[in-house]
Amino acid sequence: MTVATPAEFEARLRAIGDARYHHRHPFNVRMHEGTLRPEEIRTWVANRYYYQTRIPIKDGLILAKAQDPAFRRDWIGRIHDHDGAREGEGGLELWLALADAVGLDRERVASQCDVLPGVRRACDAYVDFVASHDLLESVASSLTELFAGDIMLTRIAAFEAHYPWVAIEGLRYFQSRTRQAPADAAFGLAYVTREARTREDQDRCAGALERKCEILWSLLDAVDSAHARPRLAADAIPRLDDAEPMVVLSERAVKLGGSGREILTLCDGTRSAVEIVAELSERHPGESHLVEDVHGFIDEMAGLSVLILEH
Amino acid sequence: MGAADAKEGHRPYNLVAELTYRCPLRCIYCSNPLNHREVPDALDGGAWTRAFREAASLGVVHVGLTGGEPTLHPDLPDIVSGAAEAGHYVHLVTAGTTLDGPRLAALHERGLRSVQLSIQDASEAEADEVAGTRSHTKKLAFARQVTDLGLPLTLNAVLHRGNLARVPEIIALARRLGARHLELANAQYHGWALRNRASLLPSAAQLEEAASAVEHARGEADGPEILFVLPDYFSDRPKPCMGGWGRRILVMTPEGRVLPCHDAGEIAGLEFWRYPERSLEACWESSPGILAFRGEDWMQAPCRTCPERERDFGGCRCQAFRLTGDAAAADPACSLAPGHAIVRDARREATVEAPVPVYRGDARSLNR
Ligand code: SF4
Ligand code: SF4
Repeated sequence: MTVATPAEFEARLRAIGDARYHHRHPFNVRMHEGTLRPEEIRTWVANRYYYQTRIPIKDGLILAKAQDPAFRRDWIGRIHDHDGAREGEGGLELWLALADAVGLDRERVASQCDVLPGVRRACDAYVDFVASHDLLESVASSLTELFAGDIMLTRIAAFEAHYPWVAIEGLRYFQSRTRQAPADAAFGLAYVTREARTREDQDRCAGALERKCEILWSLLDAVDSAHARPRLAADAIPRLDDAEPMVVLSERAVKLGGSGREILTLCDGTRSAVEIVAELSERHPGESHLVEDVHGFIDEMAGLSVLILEH
Repeated sequence: MGAADAKEGHRPYNLVAELTYRCPLRCIYCSNPLNHREVPDALDGGAWTRAFREAASLGVVHVGLTGGEPTLHPDLPDIVSGAAEAGHYVHLVTAGTTLDGPRLAALHERGLRSVQLSIQDASEAEADEVAGTRSHTKKLAFARQVTDLGLPLTLNAVLHRGNLARVPEIIALARRLGARHLELANAQYHGWALRNRASLLPSAAQLEEAASAVEHARGEADGPEILFVLPDYFSDRPKPCMGGWGRRILVMTPEGRVLPCHDAGEIAGLEFWRYPERSLEACWESSPGILAFRGEDWMQAPCRTCPERERDFGGCRCQAFRLTGDAAAADPACSLAPGHAIVRDARREATVEAPVPVYRGDARSLNR
């Protein structure tokens, strides 16, 4: 295949966003329709904070790959946007203000102790991607910004219309991004369309953008499943009293570790994963890995068709 | 129950119950024994039910009803009930041309939990060519009956030179039918498949193309879970056949012989005991055939000292026997095996023009 013109290449990148950006994710769709429950909004805010903390780190990695002072001069602005010029300013601070506005404890959010394992995995995968790819692909992976401006506008309108319990000051992060994202995206797009000189380069850029869309998508998958109520699949046979506790399915038997067995007994379709964590932390005060254990277990079992997640 | 008395690392989790070798199809890669016509259906519903109960105390948790075409066994409903009442997960493996909706629903009521349906190809003409009968359209209707009942559906397609190029279409069909799993099983060269190997063996390039189609499909949301394993003729190491001889899986033939895999009865000189002449436990724990290759004592060089023996158990005994004449030899699929040249030469068959395959049951194929 021959190299596409810059306009064709841009159209290709935009088509990826149309098809795969997380504005289509069921969780975002429900957010924007106004049907999320307050606890779902809170889980999203607490978890998405972890993503925000990864952004300046990712941008630092990109800076370290750049040879061109003009590129660095521009790109370093992103880190300033996120971290602020001084304590108490910048995007991360605005996100904590959102945490306040939805009724979360900002210290707790900042401590990242409630971050879901699937969210951590997705965000770390993004940093790893940038660490292990060249400047061109790393910049291309940032191009989800092309679609961020629109989603921020939708989101502000949705919060104003449907979630009046969220104080308006909380929305300042979204407002700041409606200005920053288009400018950042224009810079990144100009860079990528200029530097991707061969068809192969263009393919790599498209692949990087797709990968980034996948990462954002799986972040929301994890948030979404935290509030779904898991129950055993209709065909599954639990054998919890077997010397090797397991669940038997059509194509496999899944062995359960000690905590898995206990978690599974709570997956009866009446509790969400978040509620299961709460229940187990009452049973086992001081147990530190419950968030990871429970969500990790439920996600894994859902992936194996042992559990069905009901919304 | 069960696992408590699992002995020295061998517990049969699965019972593969071959109810009958009869089958209306005549697939060119059928893995049933070449003399399948001479094997009687010796166990009735009561005998199978007793076997399932004994199996439960050996540790079995899952029963696969297979064949041949298991739905041709006249006591199938009682067999399903018997397995379910013994606490097993009951899974039916069928070619899908013999059961109608009401009979399937009745089996579901008796405790059937899932169904595996074999298809031969993605579209009718090619599929019916391989099956040697008109069956594809019936199968599709059957698949819908399965999913309408809410039963998990596994689609199984045996891959070979003639259909590998259509893996993307097979995946699309599985998606359309709402299959939860898709098994893309490369033909194993036993039974009729060995007889027809020269027509079936694919080229490495074909396999690579299929593998990348699978990779692509796995990236898409909401599709079936796809199992695709490269045939061992093309990898340098053998498969851990059946998870080890007499270790995880117990096969019972229509005449009640207890085997470590569906093919082991073909190995000359091995004595396998029959149920109910002896208890299931005796057949599994002590029959000379099962003991012959359980564990590692039987291994020769190079397996005996090879660090990989704990993973692959020296590979497939049946393949070793069939290709080298010595069932205790290293599986010739292994590049370290003395007999590996046989497999290397066979790969070349894929580059010559395919001979006309013979259907299962064709007389001329019997004097192999
Ligand atoms: S492989 Fe074909 S002929 Fe053999 S038992 Fe299965 S459906 Fe019947
Ligand atoms: S030598 Fe034997 S044990 Fe080692 S890899 Fe080959 S087949 Fe497996």
